[in-house]
Amino acid sequence: MNCSFTEKISSLIDGELSTAEAREVERHMPGCNDCQQLRADFLSLRSQIAGFETSLQPEVQNRALKKILGTERPGPARGLRWSFGAPAVAFATLVIAAAIVGLLLYQSSNKTQRDSQGIASVNQTPSPAQSGSGPQSKQQQQPEASPEPSREQPTQNKNNDETPRRQPSAPKRPIVREPKPGEQFAAVPGPVRSADAQTLTAMHFEKSETLLLAFRNVRLNEPGTATEVGYERKRAQQLVYQNMMLRREADTSGDVQISSLLESLEPILIDIANLPEHPDEDAVRVIRERVERKNIVPLLRVNSTALARALD
Amino acid sequence: MASEDEEFTMLFQDFYPSLCRFLECLLGGRAPLAQDLAQESFLQLHRTAWGTMPVGEARFWLYRVARNMAINEFRKSNTRYRLFDRVVEVMRPRARTPEQEYETQERNAMVLEMLQTLPEDQRTALLLREQEQLSYREIGQVLNVSESKVKVDIFRARAALRERWNKVSGVSRVAGVGNS
Repeated sequence: MNCSFTEKISSLIDGELSTAEAREVERHMPGCNDCQQLRADFLSLRSQIAGFETSLQPEVQNRALKKILGTERPGPARGLRWSFGAPAVAFATLVIAAAIVGLLLYQSSNKTQRDSQGIASVNQTPSPAQSGSGPQSKQQQQPEASPEPSREQPTQNKNNDETPRRQPSAPKRPIVREPKPGEQFAAVPGPVRSADAQTLTAMHFEKSETLLLAFRNVRLNEPGTATEVGYERKRAQQLVYQNMMLRREADTSGDVQISSLLESLEPILIDIANLPEHPDEDAVRVIRERVERKNIVPLLRVNSTALARALD
Repeated sequence: MASEDEEFTMLFQDFYPSLCRFLECLLGGRAPLAQDLAQESFLQLHRTAWGTMPVGEARFWLYRVARNMAINEFRKSNTRYRLFDRVVEVMRPRARTPEQEYETQERNAMVLEMLQTLPEDQRTALLLREQEQLSYREIGQVLNVSESKVKVDIFRARAALRERWNKVSGVSRVAGVGNS
């Protein structure tokens, strides 16, 4: 294969080309069979590698977590231990020395007061309240000093390995998770949908994935240059209409999974399509964060793989 | 401490399966060993670096440590675990039909076999790209190499696998993919 674009094809499918380079390659591709074949082969390889299923069992994962959280952590973190500089140590020493001197002076000059303080402390020692609440107060202090609360989590999981694994993360990070191996093939639609629709959907997912990867790699913060997303905008505009059409088709066929994925994708495509030529960084960042949060790139990849395999 | 452990649990649940898969592919399919090394990586993170490192950095740190552990394993005997792994594989509970299970195993075996033909640095870069969807810059961060080396490694890996794949299958498979 002698075409000079071959290396760029690899970067193109990773969304790692600059806008100008991507345009150049896309202009070149329709006239070059070698490059078209190369792109298709690279994407096919990607499907094979991304579709690799690990044989991890949920109970193994829970056991591992339990073991890690059950292991003692060595005292304070290393970074913390060395973070006290010489001035801080000198200051602390000075404060302690001053406190000792103050205490000694106080004790020698005011004996009566010291005695009354002693009586008060003696009275406090046998207090009935303390004997009752001793262990309780100890328990209240413990969570701050030991990882007990987190150890409870895996114990709960032990009783029910399947469902509560995501419990701690649910309120903070709802979806950010690699799809499980079993889920990858759950996305294969039933025979109701036509092969054409499946092919179009698989292609649409791949194009959208490439677009989102390119969008993720748009350079921000480069001094002297405004963020340019012209290429991504144009691609998004093209894909939005196709997305709407395919979503309606999936709805009609009753393919809920594909339909819901297209539904998640649609607002993202619309947002990218509606960006100005030179958007501010925040606008780009917000969309990127949404893409990450919805875990949409892996889902697109998994579904396009599954659809392609179903067609094979 | 409680919230630290909670955060750690979230990170673990999010990335432990991916790390296992990455290691399994890197090690040529030794699943129990991959799971042990993934656990060991998380254990190291929890014991030494957790709490002093931004959460965003932890993922890269984990892949870096896991990769180093895998490299150490390459240096040890390659045959030690084979029999045990094979037994575990046979004993593994099966949720799918035998045909589906067979198909998956065949596909996994083929992917692993092809990946093993690549040099380690190319294989790692390609796995981080295709399975973990890291950008070239992020892969460079994990492997401590430049972005351009990552780009070249990934291209070479793909080109080599393509050649091998075409040799094995006889024809170029396009798996329902159209051209843009």
